[in-house]
Amino acid sequence: MSLETSWESVPASAGHKASMSDGYDFSALRILVVDDSFHMRELVRTFLEGFGIKEVTVSSDAEEAYDLVVNLDPDLIITDWNMAPVSGLEFVERIRKGANVPNRFVPIIMLTGYTEMKRVEEARDAGINSFLAKPISAASLYKRLVTSVQDKRQYVESTGGYFGPDRRSTKRREFRGKERRGGA
Amino acid sequence: MAETRFLKPQKHISQKVRPGGPSMEQAILQAVNAADDLIGQYQGWAVDDLEKLWQSFVETSRSGRADPVRLKQLYDMTHEARGQGGSFGFPLISVVGDSMCKYLEGRPRLKARDLDVIRVHIMAMKAVFRQGLKGHQGALSKELHELLGMFRAKVAQQQAG
Repeated sequence: MSLETSWESVPASAGHKASMSDGYDFSALRILVVDDSFHMRELVRTFLEGFGIKEVTVSSDAEEAYDLVVNLDPDLIITDWNMAPVSGLEFVERIRKGANVPNRFVPIIMLTGYTEMKRVEEARDAGINSFLAKPISAASLYKRLVTSVQDKRQYVESTGGYFGPDRRSTKRREFRGKERRGGA
Repeated sequence: MAETRFLKPQKHISQKVRPGGPSMEQAILQAVNAADDLIGQYQGWAVDDLEKLWQSFVETSRSGRADPVRLKQLYDMTHEARGQGGSFGFPLISVVGDSMCKYLEGRPRLKARDLDVIRVHIMAMKAVFRQGLKGHQGALSKELHELLGMFRAKVAQQQAG
């Protein structure tokens, strides 16, 4: 089975490492926002729409959101951590392991007030791509969005049970020199 | 030892993003303007949430000082306030909420002095709203952060002694 595709298939114009101030057209993106707080998810939705994104779907619980992931095939997911009965962490793990998920590689931003290193590592080990600490701002959300577009990390599937973005630090990956794979 | 294979996604978010949109500054400004009404409504519902936090505190202090469910509820509500305050233009709420979260974290029961600490934190949040202290508030934010830290440390020291 080969899931490999070369980055050459990605339009040269897209995801370029130019300065953020160059400006991106995000209008074609389809984004799913999951947060049990009505106010927070409306704030995130409003910010995203302000960035020009036309298709923003919101959900208040991870159970419903999982079905949306299967049916909508979003380009990006932004999820809160602290939700019940299914937490954001469990939601991420289900997506990464889900046989019926159209795109298990979908970038996931974890939105949370938990910023302790232990928590960050826990979220990373569940397979998130990046972390957005609350309180949020339009600027912090925009930067995370750009990071998601520019993040060309390869994914890792381990018999130990992990599936998600390569967790090695950029520094370590760079240390591999020419052998580095998937570098932008 | 676990075996690992490396995969490249067939789809990537960048395939649906084009250059030529508004600059970062323009996009952020548009987003802030779009959220103006929502942010303007924050104080109204946040005051209600704060009242619920106070009620949770009163109930916990009366009958649930060692009840893990009540303590978790108190922590979760504070945690929520911490995340929302700064997001909706009241960073001082996040400063106070952060301090209270730090104090509550990992505490299996609340002693009498703990109740004083929590009471002060909730009253500080109420004062922020009462005075309409929006925005970063410069030196006040730093001072509040330091004072609450000193207060927590002093109580911890008293309890240890």
